[in-house]
Amino acid sequence: MRVVVRALALACFFLLPGMGTPPVEGGHTVLITGSNRGIGLEFARQYAARGWRVIATCRHPEKAVNLQAIAAANPQVIIEKLDVTDLGAIDALAHKYRDTAIDVLLNNAGISGGLNNQRFGHINYATFHDVYAVNVVGPLKMAEAFQTQVAASDLKKIITISSTAGSIANSTGLLYIYRSSKTAVNMAMRNLANELQAKGIIVGLIAPGPTNADVVKGRVPLGKPEDRVKVMIDVIDRFTLDMSGSFVAYDGKVLPW
Amino acid sequence: MAFLSFTQNAFFLSLRRFSLGGLMLAMLGLPTFLAACSPDEKTAEQKSTPDKTVEEQTPLGPEGRPVVLITGSNRGIGLALTKEYANQGWHVIATCRHPEKADILQSLSAKNPHVVIEKLDVTDLSAIDALAAKYKDMPIDVLLSNAGISGGRDVQTLGSFKYDAIDKVMAVNVIGPLKLAEAFVDNVAASKQKKMVTITSTQGSITKTFGISYFYRSSKTAVNIVMHNLAIDLKDRGIIVSLISPGMVDTDFMKGLPLPLIPPAQSAAMIYKVVDGLTLDKSGVFLNHRGGEEPW
Repeated sequence: MRVVVRALALACFFLLPGMGTPPVEGGHTVLITGSNRGIGLEFARQYAARGWRVIATCRHPEKAVNLQAIAAANPQVIIEKLDVTDLGAIDALAHKYRDTAIDVLLNNAGISGGLNNQRFGHINYATFHDVYAVNVVGPLKMAEAFQTQVAASDLKKIITISSTAGSIANSTGLLYIYRSSKTAVNMAMRNLANELQAKGIIVGLIAPGPTNADVVKGRVPLGKPEDRVKVMIDVIDRFTLDMSGSFVAYDGKVLPW
Repeated sequence: MAFLSFTQNAFFLSLRRFSLGGLMLAMLGLPTFLAACSPDEKTAEQKSTPDKTVEEQTPLGPEGRPVVLITGSNRGIGLALTKEYANQGWHVIATCRHPEKADILQSLSAKNPHVVIEKLDVTDLSAIDALAAKYKDMPIDVLLSNAGISGGRDVQTLGSFKYDAIDKVMAVNVIGPLKLAEAFVDNVAASKQKKMVTITSTQGSITKTFGISYFYRSSKTAVNIVMHNLAIDLKDRGIIVSLISPGMVDTDFMKGLPLPLIPPAQSAAMIYKVVDGLTLDKSGVFLNHRGGEEPW
C-alpha cells in the first residue's frame, strides 16, 4: 500500500510540473545553500540517502554535474538556482516554498575571500563586501525569509556552517576578512537564537574544520568531506533547543567564541 | 613612565608638566625627543598664536611630547579623549569628517598648538593613505580608533532588516580601524609606547548578547577578532593592540536610551588610565574602561 502511495506521489511530481513541491511521506526536508560542491554537495548526498527531501540550491545548476547526478538518482532532491547575495532571489524562493515545512535550513554557502587579499599591509578592502555578502548577509537573510517555514516544521533547525577561524579565543593571526565574517555571523546567529527561542526554533553554528573541500584547499590537516559531514549530520540531529545559540565543532564539541 | 604608577604619573604630569615631564622624557624618551626635533625647531618656550593654521603648525617636532591620533574627535567620546590627552600634555592629532563644523574642537585647537585638527573620513581609504604620508616621519605613540556608528536604529530588527545598512557600519567600525592600523603601523612601531587602541563595545560580546542591534553588534565582534589577530601578528614588532569598551556614555550615540550613562569626561579619564597602563601581555585582550576583561 505504501509503495502504491509513494508511486502516486512520484507520479504527481513527474506529471504535474510547476504544481510546486511533491508530497513527502513521513520524511523531513532540508534546504542547503552552496550544494554544488564541497561540504554542501556531501550534505545533499547524505541527506538524500536518508530519504529526506533535499532542496539543493547553488548559483549555477547548469554547471553542477555532481549535484545533478544525485538529483537524477534521487527524485526527492530538487535543485534550485540561488545566489545568496541576491536578496530578491531569496525572497522569491521563500515565496515559492511558502507552504513547505523546512526542518533544517542549512546555511552552507561560504567563501574565503582569498588568502592574497588579506595580507596585512596589502589588504584588499573590496573583498570585505563580497565576503560579508555571502558569509553574513546571506545566512541572516535566509533565516529571516524562511523563518515561517522552519517554524512550521517538526525539527525547526537553522544551522549555519561557521568556522574555527571565527573563534576569537582560538585565533592564530592572519585572514582578517574571513575570520571577521565568521565571527560576525556567529554574533548574528547567537542573537537570532535568543530571539527565536520562544518560537522553539533551534539555531546552531557548526565549524567543519579544514577539509579538502574547494574553499580551503591546500590547508592542512585536512579531513574528507564525506567523513566530516556524516558526523555533522549526527550533531545536527542531536541539536536541542537548550543548545540553541551554541558554536560547536564538527563533532559537537563546544568552541569558545 | 614605568617607574611611577599611572595615577601618580597623571598627577605629576598635570602639576609639573615641563620639569618632571622633561626629566622623564630625557631618561626614557630621548630617542623620540631627538627624532622629533629638527634644525628649524623653535625653543620649548614657544607660545601659541590663536590664529595659527594647521599648515603653520609643524607636522614634526611636537616638543618631545608623546603623540596620539584620535579619530571621530569632534564630539562624544572622541572629543572627551582629545581633551584628556591634551590636558595630559600630549600632542594630539584630532581627526574628524567636518572640522569646519567642529566648534568645540576648533576652540580647543585655537588655545593649544598641540591639538592639531585633520580632516578625515575613515571610510575614505585613500584619505587615510594621504594622512599617513603627511605624517610619515612622526612616531605615533597611540593610534586611537574611536570613530564609530550605530548603523541606525530602525534597520536592524529581525523581520525588517535593511541589509544595505551593513556596508556603512562595517566600513566605519571594522575597515576604518584596520586600514588605519595598516597605514600607520610604521609610525606606531617607531614610537616609544607602540599602542594601537580601538574603542569597541560590550555589545560586541557574543557571550553577553541577548538580541537586537544585529549589524552594530556584528561590527564590534568583527573588529574584536580583527584586532585580536592583529595583536598576534604585530607582537614581534612590540606593538600593543588593544580593544577597550568605553562603558555606557552620555553622548549623541546613546541619545534617548533609558540607561544609566556616565559623562564622557569620566569615560575618557578612565580610558586614558587603561591605555597608559597597557603592556604587551594585555595585547589583544578585550578590556573595559575600568581595565577589567570582557568575554568574547
